Amino acid sequence: MIEKLKKNKFLVTVTLIYGILFITNTDKAVLSVKNSGYYIKEMLMIMPVVFLLTSLIEAWVPKKMIVEHLGDNSGLKGSFISLLLGSVSAGPIYAAFPVCKTLLNKGASISSIVVILSAWAVIKVPMLANEAKFLGPKFMFIRWIFTTISIIIMGYIISKLVKREDIPMEEEKIEEDTILLKREYCMGCGLCEKMSPEYFKVENKKAKVLNKNISYKNKEKVKEVQDKCPAKAIKVG
Amino acid sequence: MDIFTIALWVITGIWFVISMIKDKKKTLKSMKMSRKMMGNMIGQILGILFLIGLLLTFIPPHIIKEYLGSSNTIMATIISALVGSITLIPAFVAFPLVGSIVDMGASIVPAVAFLTTLTMVGFVTFNLEKQEFGRKFAIARNSLSFVAALLISMVMGAIL
Repeated sequence: MIEKLKKNKFLVTVTLIYGILFITNTDKAVLSVKNSGYYIKEMLMIMPVVFLLTSLIEAWVPKKMIVEHLGDNSGLKGSFISLLLGSVSAGPIYAAFPVCKTLLNKGASISSIVVILSAWAVIKVPMLANEAKFLGPKFMFIRWIFTTISIIIMGYIISKLVKREDIPMEEEKIEEDTILLKREYCMGCGLCEKMSPEYFKVENKKAKVLNKNISYKNKEKVKEVQDKCPAKAIKVG
Repeated sequence: MDIFTIALWVITGIWFVISMIKDKKKTLKSMKMSRKMMGNMIGQILGILFLIGLLLTFIPPHIIKEYLGSSNTIMATIISALVGSITLIPAFVAFPLVGSIVDMGASIVPAVAFLTTLTMVGFVTFNLEKQEFGRKFAIARNSLSFVAALLISMVMGAIL
């Protein structure tokens, strides 16, 4: 429970503010909830499809393809593909986060991610049409050109400032000198037990870690087990 | 729902059906991974949406309009860029609002700064961006976007 509250610190804070506001100024609180209504509807329309989309990218888009078109060496062409991907998307910027995270995991470069995120937020065809209607096509077109240029330059600058290691990845943190076994990946081949019986044992067709802490002299050996494991289920910290 | 959202639903839906037929196990497995990632975000997103509601109550569009139309262009530009960074008002409200003050004869520099930071800089989404992409990335992207918005607005003020 406490763990959950801690994880959702932000939501808890916002809820508290609402609670206080309800007591001190009910009208304003009700108005705020009403104002949020539009955004909640927007989220409900977009997040389920983003969820499906990230799953499908995860399952079917080959890493090689992403690296080739959006990876570190994709250059200006990569930026243009990213720009196009971001522009034809739908929904607010937070909808881009899961998609970008998945692409990043698959080998897209930081610069591509910046371009997709920014284009997703700023460049939208329905929005451009709206802008042209109220501010004139010339205004819209010139702003679009400068925004596009800035986004591509920003991608370049940020890829120089931020390295891949700076970005938190889903992978669980492994403590120094310990073994992490992902049981759901294990195929029960028994190779680890054969190579290093003091640390691994196969039980019920799944490997089991007997001793999680690796002693200094065994580290190299366990590392070798990690590399040899055909299911890549063993991680050594 | 606009046409792009509908298109996204249709394409993703078809892809999903094909995926399920082709390899149900693989599809379900990656959905599980996706669910974990989204699960980490959903609390934050809900917080963001309700925070936007609060912000709109305390910084309503007519106050924004006052700042945008202020006669001191430099101050107006900086304040508009800041207000644009903090709030998140929908495009169909923002464009008519900005259009009406530009028609009234206000400078377009603050207007462009506001429109650009409105979408590109996310004060309310900053926390989530930090969680997912790291502090360095979030700071770099948001601050560069802010500077870019100011530059774009000045250049546009000069040529239009």
